[in-house]
Amino acid sequence: MQAFSNRPLGELVRFENVGLRYGVGAETLTDVSFAIEPQSFQFLTGASGTGKTTLLRLIMQALKPTRGMIALFGQDTSELNKEGLTALRRRMGIVFQDFRLLDHLTTYENVALPLKVQGREEATYRAEVTELLSWVGLGALMHAKPAVLSGGEKQRASIARALVAQPELLLADEPTGNVDPSLARRLLRLFVEMNRSGTAILIATHDLSLMDQIEGARRLVLADRRLEVEASHD
Amino acid sequence: MTDRGDQHRTSLFAFLWSMPLLKRDPLVAADKVTDRALVSVVAIMTFLAALTVGAAQFAAGTAARWQVMMASEVTVQIKPQGARSIEGDIVKATDILRGTSGVASVKVFSREDSAKLLEPWLGPAAGIESLPIPRLIAVRLDTTQPPDLGALGRSVAEAVPSASIDDHRSWTKRLGRISDLLLAASLFALVLVLTATGLAIVFATRGAMAGNREIIEVLHFIGADDRYIAGQFQSHFAILGVRGGLIGGIAAIIVLITLNLTSRLTAGLLDGISLSEVAVPGLEIFGATLLVVALVGLIAGIASRMTVHRTIGRLA
Repeated sequence: MQAFSNRPLGELVRFENVGLRYGVGAETLTDVSFAIEPQSFQFLTGASGTGKTTLLRLIMQALKPTRGMIALFGQDTSELNKEGLTALRRRMGIVFQDFRLLDHLTTYENVALPLKVQGREEATYRAEVTELLSWVGLGALMHAKPAVLSGGEKQRASIARALVAQPELLLADEPTGNVDPSLARRLLRLFVEMNRSGTAILIATHDLSLMDQIEGARRLVLADRRLEVEASHD
Repeated sequence: MTDRGDQHRTSLFAFLWSMPLLKRDPLVAADKVTDRALVSVVAIMTFLAALTVGAAQFAAGTAARWQVMMASEVTVQIKPQGARSIEGDIVKATDILRGTSGVASVKVFSREDSAKLLEPWLGPAAGIESLPIPRLIAVRLDTTQPPDLGALGRSVAEAVPSASIDDHRSWTKRLGRISDLLLAASLFALVLVLTATGLAIVFATRGAMAGNREIIEVLHFIGADDRYIAGQFQSHFAILGVRGGLIGGIAAIIVLITLNLTSRLTAGLLDGISLSEVAVPGLEIFGATLLVVALVGLIAGIASRMTVHRTIGRLA
């Protein structure tokens, strides 16, 4: 993969005292503060139901915080208009827990989607997408539709789609949750390679063994509605 | 139609149905049942609208033609009066008419002709000759240089006091009103059909957007802006609308061509009506049909665009 250049050196994500409440109940997340640096690697962990996916959705701006401040790529998100939000999302790649591939498109079309929606002509990205599909081991399945792919293949297609626009930040929600341990290790190697080529990675997982495989990764631990940042694990 | 003809017709509609030229790389998941239903509804609406407009044009054309014919002819009626010789009055009136500039021809209806005109009401009774039947003179006018009908009427009345001139004005006025009414009714029907088409597109677009909510969310997350997403839905339904419009329009043109040929073949056979008295559907009707198709396409585009832009904000 091509290394990134000319990146801003500031934080990609900053949360300050962020709280989120659904309706009138108690807060789901309370006083969450953390930052994600460029080219860093971190896990977001915690027991089921502690708010990992909610926190990812706050970063991807699918949810608005009830209080506190969220800045993405140096911009306060409370001041974002629609165009600004789209521009920020184009700097992120997202791997959904349930893949979210479009069933009526082929693997190739799904992976190429982030480039297509930016208005690029197919001729300018065809080789790029084909190479990426080969890199994630889906070269032979590029014309297959999601319905005939296995869980692992769908996950790789979802990762390839998140990567194809060479994002500065990649968010992955339980990316190994639907695959066997051997494939989980392979997918993790993919994330490590992406990180080496310059993408900051945030993986939400509750799989301790997965986290133990990456030396130097920071852990953001959610428990009792709060987030604790643990130092890098060597 | 022969089997071969059926095959041709089937393949023509199959072509229109799939319309490869209008196909595009879709991001909107097509619901074939909904899409086909929408194409069918729009096709039927367009067909009815085009036929309504075509029929109104046909009727208005015929009325206009009759108006011209009636305006180019006047009828002089001479009633029997006391001891006056009706034959002598006819000669006097005919002389005046023939000597007037702007009169193209004069045709006197004989007593037998007049009796025949009354036959449908009085029957072929033998005593009809004994009745004081008025006599008619049909006067064809030179439409390029028509005479002053007022002056002509006065001249005839001076020579023949029992004569009166009917210039058919009341009939031409009535025909004009009928023709205007038909056109207004067809325009009203066209507006109704276009409204119904627009509503069908609105509901289909809304349904599709609600059904594709997850796709819209994914597209937002991977960096698609509202304009791009709106464009996908908008063009999908606008294309379906145009496809339905073309199918309905072509079906209407086929029916109009059939009507055209039938009316040309049968016009001369109609009792008492010559070919020149019936307006046969011409190229202007096909032009009107194409206009209806274009209007349906335009309505489809506007309806889907407005719906998409209203709905996408809510879904986002």
